[in-house]
Amino acid sequence: MRPLRFGLAAALLLIAGGPAAAWEAPPGKPARIVSLNLCADELLLRLVGAERIASVTWLARDPRSSTVAALAAGIPVNRGLAEEILPLRPDLIVAGRYTTRVAVGLLTRLGAPVLELDVPQTVEGVAEQIRGLARAVGEPDRGEALIAGLLARLDALPPAPPGPRPTAVVVRPNGFVAGSGSLVDELLARAGLENRADRLPLGSQGALPLEAIVLGGADLLIVDAAPDSPPSLAGTLLDHPALAALGRRVRGVSIPSRLWTCPGPQIAEAAERLAAAREALP
Amino acid sequence: MTVETRIPYPAQVAGLTVLALALCGVSAAVGYVPFDLGAALFDLLAGRPTLPALVLAELRLPRALLGLLVGFSLGLTGAAMQGWLRNPLAEPGLVGVSSSAALGAVIVFYGGLSAGASLALPLGGMAGAAAAAVLLNLMAARGAGTTVLVIGGIAINSLAGAATALALNLAPNPYAALEIVFWLMGSLADRGTGQLWLVLPPMLAGWALCLSGARALDALTLGEDAARSLGFDLVALRVRLIAGAALAVGSAVSVTGAVGFVGLVAPHLMRPLAGARPGRLLLLAGLAGASLTLAADIAVRLLPTRPELKLGVVTALIGAPFLIVLIARLRREEA
Repeated sequence: MRPLRFGLAAALLLIAGGPAAAWEAPPGKPARIVSLNLCADELLLRLVGAERIASVTWLARDPRSSTVAALAAGIPVNRGLAEEILPLRPDLIVAGRYTTRVAVGLLTRLGAPVLELDVPQTVEGVAEQIRGLARAVGEPDRGEALIAGLLARLDALPPAPPGPRPTAVVVRPNGFVAGSGSLVDELLARAGLENRADRLPLGSQGALPLEAIVLGGADLLIVDAAPDSPPSLAGTLLDHPALAALGRRVRGVSIPSRLWTCPGPQIAEAAERLAAAREALP
Repeated sequence: MTVETRIPYPAQVAGLTVLALALCGVSAAVGYVPFDLGAALFDLLAGRPTLPALVLAELRLPRALLGLLVGFSLGLTGAAMQGWLRNPLAEPGLVGVSSSAALGAVIVFYGGLSAGASLALPLGGMAGAAAAAVLLNLMAARGAGTTVLVIGGIAINSLAGAATALALNLAPNPYAALEIVFWLMGSLADRGTGQLWLVLPPMLAGWALCLSGARALDALTLGEDAARSLGFDLVALRVRLIAGAALAVGSAVSVTGAVGFVGLVAPHLMRPLAGARPGRLLLLAGLAGASLTLAADIAVRLLPTRPELKLGVVTALIGAPFLIVLIARLRREEA
């Protein structure tokens, strides 16, 4: 194989988890960008024109898991394998910090310019990540516009009335709950809700038995659901009669997982739906 | 080895029934969150929609009752298959009936067929179980020895396991492949009333079919010719037992995954009680299977692991050493 012509490699080989401010803008704009991660797809497709993206993940085209399915329509897809990526001769590879580790390791050893996205747990971190990626792809202005739009929508959320806030618990597939310190936790707070997760009988770590969630006593049951997703046992748990009965007793609201699985501008819509659910509480 | 005990058969059945029902009650009382069972039951009976009443009605009771039903199905079919094949190693788990049922259920569930009609799920399990039982019957029709049965079982088991993994990998949900542990090891965690009502009718039908073969199984201990000369139709017996096993095991596995070894251990534990009467063994083994499954399901919740152990892990921890002892004893007897 021809040696990979990754002239920008040194400039772009960013240290994972390094501060966004240290990200160097490349001399020219990368024109054959490959994404190995759904969350990277979401941001890239919003920041860069489709003609500069060589490949996105297969998940990006699925409207059930992606909010940019329409944008991803014409772009070739990959399943996170190094051998799919190399022939594309990418000048920038964006990967997730915790996914496709084998492919990323191989691509890094071959000298490919890999940028790893972290999983920010705060809105501030989300904004930093958008800013950093926008700089790396040479579109800082579009990045700032995305951030401004996200922050404006979050600031426009209806303010919580004074007094104790209603409590909420977020249940995800397999009975995982969103704990404190997570991005979902911050979105709940911005929507005027108090996360009940840490006061559940068994805490908020790991997959919880449903009875711990039911007996937790939250005012609002938020199910992180994808109602039209293909069947899985993990997802069936969210349709359990016990949760359905609880949702009738307290109040249940379903938020599609694509709105807050990835840190991107779409989290504003999740926060808006949460705030609307709080306002609808008696 | 067939020691007739002094306890009369009705008393044996009554005692085991009390044991199984008591374990069912313990199973409903044991959970993760401290829970006032009495108050919850009171609220439930009074129709007060409190949270404890909700947990009892929608989580604890379905789990306990499903443990009872699934355990009874496995113990009963284990005893029926051992009598029918006249082989002490015949058991839905070892010979691949359970894993084939899991395959059928996996194809139906992840293929999205059960979303349209919920009955499709147990039907898929039954189809898988029936296919394995028929295949087994073809292999063992002429009283095949233990070796043939075990090798056939290994083949069916690995084929069904591999096909299940394949079906999960081809499933449209990208996370489905991670759920193979449930289908291979079984679990009663967070099952609900929907599943309970779904599998109850086919299970009852399967039990009735298996139990209706009791007298023929007794006669079969004298050999096929003797049984035939006593007026028993052995083809009809086979059809009944295959259908019964398919209905009971197929529907059980479709909601709890394949729980191993219960069908092996329960009949062997009860054999000293039943003596040389495989017909009597059926009911006793069913009740013992229910008790074993409930005890194992109580154990997974008492052990300090989270997420909880799969049910099949505990039954295998008990059942596999039991199998080794059994094989050693068989060798002594054959020697």
